[in-house]
Amino acid sequence: MPDTADILRLESMQVHFPIQGGLFDRVLGRPAGAVRAVDGIDLNIGRGEIVALVGESGSGKTTVGRVITKLAQPTGGRLLFEGEDMTSVRGSSALRPYRHRVQMIFQDAYQALNPRHTVFDVVAEPLRSLRLVDNASQLADRVSEALAAAGLNPPGDFFARFPHELSGGQRQRVVIAGALAVRPELIVADEPVSMLDVSIRAQILQVLVDLRDKHNMALLFITHDLPLAWSIADRIAVLYLGKLVEIGSADEITFNPRHPYTVALRNATPQIGGNADRGKLPALQGEVPSAARVPRGCRFHPRCPLAFDRCREEEPPAIEVGPQHLSACWRSEC
Amino acid sequence: MSESTVRYSPRGRTRAIKSFLCQFLGHGGAQAGLVCLVFFLVLAAAPNTLVGPLQTAINATGDFLVPPSGEHLLGTDEVGRDVLNLVVHGARISLTIALLATVISLVVGTSVGITAGYYGGRVDVWLMRLTDFFFVMPSFVLALVITPVVLEVMGRGGDILGFRPSLFVIIVVIGMTSWAFVARIVRSQTLSLKERTFVDRARVVGSSNIVIMVKHILPNLLPQIAANGALVVAGAIYVETSLSFLGLGDPLQPSWGTLLALAQRAGAASAGAWWDLGAPGVCVLTVSLSFVLIGNALDDTFNPRRRVIP
Amino acid sequence: MTNSSQDNVPLLEVDRLSVDYGLKGVSSRAIDRVSFALRAGEAVGLVGESGSGKTTTAMAIASLLSPNARVNEGEVRYRGKRLPIDDDAAMRPHRWSETSVVFQGAMNALNPVHRILKQIAEPCMLKLGMSRGEATARARELLELVGIPADRGSAYPHELSGGMRQRVMIAMALACRPSIVIGDEPTTALDVITQAQILKLLGELRSRLNLALILITHDLSVVAEACDRVMIMYAGRIVEDGTVADIFAQPKHPYTRLLIDSIPNPASGKRIIRPIPGDPPNLMNRPSGCAFHPRCPSAMAVCVTEVPSFDECGQGRVACHLHRSSQEDKVAVHA
Repeated sequence: MPDTADILRLESMQVHFPIQGGLFDRVLGRPAGAVRAVDGIDLNIGRGEIVALVGESGSGKTTVGRVITKLAQPTGGRLLFEGEDMTSVRGSSALRPYRHRVQMIFQDAYQALNPRHTVFDVVAEPLRSLRLVDNASQLADRVSEALAAAGLNPPGDFFARFPHELSGGQRQRVVIAGALAVRPELIVADEPVSMLDVSIRAQILQVLVDLRDKHNMALLFITHDLPLAWSIADRIAVLYLGKLVEIGSADEITFNPRHPYTVALRNATPQIGGNADRGKLPALQGEVPSAARVPRGCRFHPRCPLAFDRCREEEPPAIEVGPQHLSACWRSEC
Repeated sequence: MSESTVRYSPRGRTRAIKSFLCQFLGHGGAQAGLVCLVFFLVLAAAPNTLVGPLQTAINATGDFLVPPSGEHLLGTDEVGRDVLNLVVHGARISLTIALLATVISLVVGTSVGITAGYYGGRVDVWLMRLTDFFFVMPSFVLALVITPVVLEVMGRGGDILGFRPSLFVIIVVIGMTSWAFVARIVRSQTLSLKERTFVDRARVVGSSNIVIMVKHILPNLLPQIAANGALVVAGAIYVETSLSFLGLGDPLQPSWGTLLALAQRAGAASAGAWWDLGAPGVCVLTVSLSFVLIGNALDDTFNPRRRVIP
Repeated sequence: MTNSSQDNVPLLEVDRLSVDYGLKGVSSRAIDRVSFALRAGEAVGLVGESGSGKTTTAMAIASLLSPNARVNEGEVRYRGKRLPIDDDAAMRPHRWSETSVVFQGAMNALNPVHRILKQIAEPCMLKLGMSRGEATARARELLELVGIPADRGSAYPHELSGGMRQRVMIAMALACRPSIVIGDEPTTALDVITQAQILKLLGELRSRLNLALILITHDLSVVAEACDRVMIMYAGRIVEDGTVADIFAQPKHPYTRLLIDSIPNPASGKRIIRPIPGDPPNLMNRPSGCAFHPRCPSAMAVCVTEVPSFDECGQGRVACHLHRSSQEDKVAVHA
């Protein structure tokens, strides 16, 4: 894929949160550790592409989203937006052009809306703060347009409502409308449907897919749900303990996973009509270790049913196992 | 469609305010507190029409220390002034001092608290050290230190914003010593509010720190500030009374504390003149109690479990 | 325990149970004439969206309804005997010893300042009258049963991972040897792999202890994995009841069908998921007739006016006017 097609690139992105040692540790000169939330990730998102980032809690998937939306500052690596290095750009005014093009949708829409702001306030906020409108009537037009695009019709009915007067699905639509109002080119959606009722999920996903189809908007879809990722994304990236273990097209990852963790994740996912591939690999034991104590070698080896000596010593690089399909596993080499 | 009509169409906000008022006014404590408070506010608003001009030793209307009677409902003091007249005029001074001091305290406390909580890090550390300093500073000592300075600068006869210098000093001193309490509460609330997702969202949509503090955090703090503000007023009345009682008040603009001090010095207690001490005392008690009641009622009404959002 | 006369009586019968919630003087119906029976050792999934009444149903069975709830009609029978579910004091001896509940948020249900062993031993002492020593022994046994080494009993809740805490909750639910365990979204807050582990554990415990399991969830695929039977609830009523195999292969109620269609399923290659139009119903303002009619693609005139009866249909039961034709005479008898 030519470089110019990428709207966003993460290059060995790293986010380590220092652990505050106690007074004793400091006096004794013990080194304070770090939580390696994100530990060297390479990821690119093309224009109009939907990439799903799949991982369990503690995998660092939310932190990746926060780095891209500039809510968290990386401790290493680079964040490139259309080739421009945005890693060290900070401050609300310097970030204004970037914010205009990259927006975010949050998991818990109730939390993401200020309880004292009306729907109009919420959707108008980015337009005001990014100075995208000149007068009040233009503002009202843009707000109406965004609400309608997010599926809240007629928009005028919602202007004066407070978040607690809306249903869960409507609240998430308001958050989406707030992100759409600036007509961004990339949206980071952090588990946008996991708090919603099943019957509402599909409606929200439909809105997101429509945005890509109509406006060629790129989407980074963060989720823990592999079938959901498959249903919406072009490519899936699987994250384990701060590192990408596998990345490839949605179909490849779902039907031909190469990394044992991806296989385990797929096997553990409950499915209607049973999971035909289950049983090829024993179910995983234990839980994801803490990101403060990342195992040496391959970080998955303590739980991996296929681990061998090399896995305990050396960290596997991303190995190409198919067209645009990378897997970070020594077993994929052969 | 103009912006203001769009933003505050009568539906949402008015309904919310209405339901807030219904809940608040239905609260027994709030009713009692409001009745007392309104009574004293009326006294404070029009003392001259109610009881005539402030009496001094020169235009005193009665004998010395006359017990309550038809002529002097609350008796007279040691120079023959009508106690009712003094108490009503005192209400104006006492309430003004307390309310102005509270305004200072809330403005300073909220600004410091939000800034410290929102920015965190070094800003937080230094602002909170400053807060601690004012937190432990006794108001009496501060008043003793500031008074001579202000009097030196202004002269005893001048006035600042319509207040005689000694009253102005009291207002400033109470404001300075009570904001730390507000700052601590506001900071801890801000610390939890800034972790809320809506602050993240505000940042992602490009709002600056100032906008986030003023438009996102402050409105969510208002219930807390209002409830604690009422308690600060109650505290301010007490502090004012004790400062004046200790002689820091102004005899020409007597507050309830000054009246108590004068009565005490005139030996009202030993002379059995209970009315001279009791009238201002009961006033102080009633007003601060009603503010406490209102504060508690506000706290109950804003309780997140029964939250209404005005 | 079981003798031959009890074999014919279902373990638990819920008969036309209706529960109302009173809020600020307005009462709204949370569940409306819910009826079903549960056999010993059976695993039933109770599926519905928020506000469908699935949690209210389960809480009514366990007699853990909130104070503003009122049982309006109907009853719950345990082994043929009526349970006093609306009488808190009379229900106390039944609670936890016959029916116990595993809640969703294990962190909130555990006391953060007590070691987990003590928290498991507590109900054994209170309910079964065990001595401290016996209760501790029982607690260790229960920990092993749910797959936690008994030595971990000295840990505090915050020292355990989410999956471990959920196991502790299960151990506590089993303390008084209940015959019915209700799981109220027991795996919702957990990761996929941990969820699979917990579901596997519940399955094993069920066959080992002959437990009946009521699994409350919004996730149909969890039910497909863990249950024999599934009941779909919508707006306070059960709309379909049948075996997992039947319902997923041939859903009869349009709501069930749409619900299954709204879950992406790589196994069947079904990628485009079809949204169900509209919003879930508001309990304060329930639609007339069949509550699903405003969102139903095959709604007819009769659906707006008449509440469909909940009738036998094939192996299961369904409440839908589309499946009524053969039942016409039966309805007439009831009316």
